Amino acid sequence: MMERMSLLGYAVCGIGLESDALPFDVGGIDRDAMPAGLRRRASEATQLAFSAAARACREAARSPAALPSVFASVGGEMQVTDQLCIELAKPEGLVSPTAFHNSVHNTAAGYWTIVHGCPEPATALAAGHDTFALGLLEAWCQLSCNGGELLVVCYDERWPGYLAPPLGRVAVASAMVLAAGDVPEALAHLGKPCPIGASGNRAEFSNLLETAPAAWALPLLQSAALGEAGPVALSGNGWVGDLLLATSAAA
Amino acid sequence: MIEPVAITAYTCISAAGDGVEALWQALVDNRCRLSSLKLFELPFETVVGAVKTPLPEVSERLAAYGCRNARLALKALNQDGFRARVEEAMDRYQRERVGLVLGTSTSGIYDSEAVYTRFLETGTMPSDFHFMRRHAAQATAEFLALELGLAGPSYAISTACSSSAKALAAGQRLISAGVCDAVLVAGVDTLCRLTLRGFHSLELIDPQPCRPMDSSRRGINIGEGAGMLLLERRAAANAGAPFLLAVGESSDAHHMSAPHPDGAGAARAMAMALERAGVSPESVDYINLHATATPLNDQSEARAVTQMFPKPPPCSGVKGLLGHTLGAAGAVEAVVSLLALERGLLPGTCGFRELGVDSALPVLGDPQAGARPRHVLSNAFGFGGNNASVLLRSGGA
Repeated sequence: MMERMSLLGYAVCGIGLESDALPFDVGGIDRDAMPAGLRRRASEATQLAFSAAARACREAARSPAALPSVFASVGGEMQVTDQLCIELAKPEGLVSPTAFHNSVHNTAAGYWTIVHGCPEPATALAAGHDTFALGLLEAWCQLSCNGGELLVVCYDERWPGYLAPPLGRVAVASAMVLAAGDVPEALAHLGKPCPIGASGNRAEFSNLLETAPAAWALPLLQSAALGEAGPVALSGNGWVGDLLLATSAAA
Repeated sequence: MIEPVAITAYTCISAAGDGVEALWQALVDNRCRLSSLKLFELPFETVVGAVKTPLPEVSERLAAYGCRNARLALKALNQDGFRARVEEAMDRYQRERVGLVLGTSTSGIYDSEAVYTRFLETGTMPSDFHFMRRHAAQATAEFLALELGLAGPSYAISTACSSSAKALAAGQRLISAGVCDAVLVAGVDTLCRLTLRGFHSLELIDPQPCRPMDSSRRGINIGEGAGMLLLERRAAANAGAPFLLAVGESSDAHHMSAPHPDGAGAARAMAMALERAGVSPESVDYINLHATATPLNDQSEARAVTQMFPKPPPCSGVKGLLGHTLGAAGAVEAVVSLLALERGLLPGTCGFRELGVDSALPVLGDPQAGARPRHVLSNAFGFGGNNASVLLRSGGA
């Protein structure tokens, strides 16, 4: 049974994200993360997911083509879906083929595998306010059962204000390259995500986390960057992960 | 290799009717259950696989979750004694050790579509509309978990038409990784304007009942349905239950809405399922095809199967009976495959007359009775080139 997974690289990208207090750089949309032709059609959600995923792979020096992926998002392609719902409410509303296939929850995951020629499995999941925690749990289960390495991306774009206030005010994507077990080059190690109920730390993020469930990577990545070992909240509903520092990071 | 898990209960609602006996009768009869759409108007002709029996209201306590998708899920939960089996599992293990993985493509969007009509008229969303509890991908999973009092991990997989096949994979991993002792895997998707008009815009809808793998196939019919399976850690008490051996998953890396023409990704998913289970291709006795009846999908899948299987076993697809239940298809067709395994009938392919693909696929037009399949593969492929192939084995030694 796997006891921990290793963090090989990570990145955070966002729009409207206050990042001055963070001990790592937060990027915006990276125009080079996807081909120009696709970028013109891709949503904010997919562009941000790509931006963080590409940077995390670079940080970890891993090829995107070789990694299975887990894409976790509360609302997925919320803006496209909203526009389609508006069209469907009109008597002569138009549903374009591209808008339709770009409305599925796994749009970012699908394009990621297409752009990188990646034959590995890509999944897309949602778990409301626990989306980051359960994306990480899905990553844990895949690594525990299959071994190897994978990419986990958690993202949400800005949502129309009338849909789920106060959620969706900030667009944010985090990405991590993880490996099964202890890997010597790891930046940090993570124990199994558990729903044990001891959260409440990271008060400095509380406003952000209440409006952007996808931002729950920030407390974990902050702890990793600052070298603070111990339990870290992964959601507001009690999901916690145990952060263990790699020897080199602790030194 | 991954640890096999027991499938200790299952149920299904579809155009065939309520419960596994209705589904079984449809498989025996192999008579099309598709009909004209009554739920809303469409600007084109087609038939759909609708659930025609009444759907229950959700309880007052969970009224915010009430939508067609949640109501269909509740109906499935309450039939075939399925709910009691889940509750027994919650008693047998701890509530925290029972998880829930839902596969869905559009969740509660059918109800949102109606809300948007009012939104366009008035400029404000109705105060009782709760996006997170009705329309978000996880809404029906959250509803089921609250309805049952499950306390284990609960989430939704939404990878278009492979959603609930991949939910089976996630459920097996939760048990195999030691996170859960039992997992309720549900595939639930309901008819809505978005999928019907979306597939129409892609020119993939057949105005007539569809004809999977047939030379005259023209496209799909959309269906709705709910399939539910209870996965449990293997134990002496469930030794007679059928097993989920493994799920193979892959990406086509080709196109958002068209499969790779050679079926390379689909073949890879089937190969991975067999490899993870340590089962040889010769041991597979029947393949439940994805077989959507679009010209490209069926051709691609036929090439994938003949690539993987030098001598393919009997194959068939049920979408001519039930329609394509989209995100629910993986779970619904896992139940079809379990009926094949447990009752020894290989389903037919309703609407099929003459093979219309360039690979020598042994497609069953009529059901084949008296079979004794031991290993069955069930395929589900979705937008984004997202493939999953579910390998099941009959119970007993």
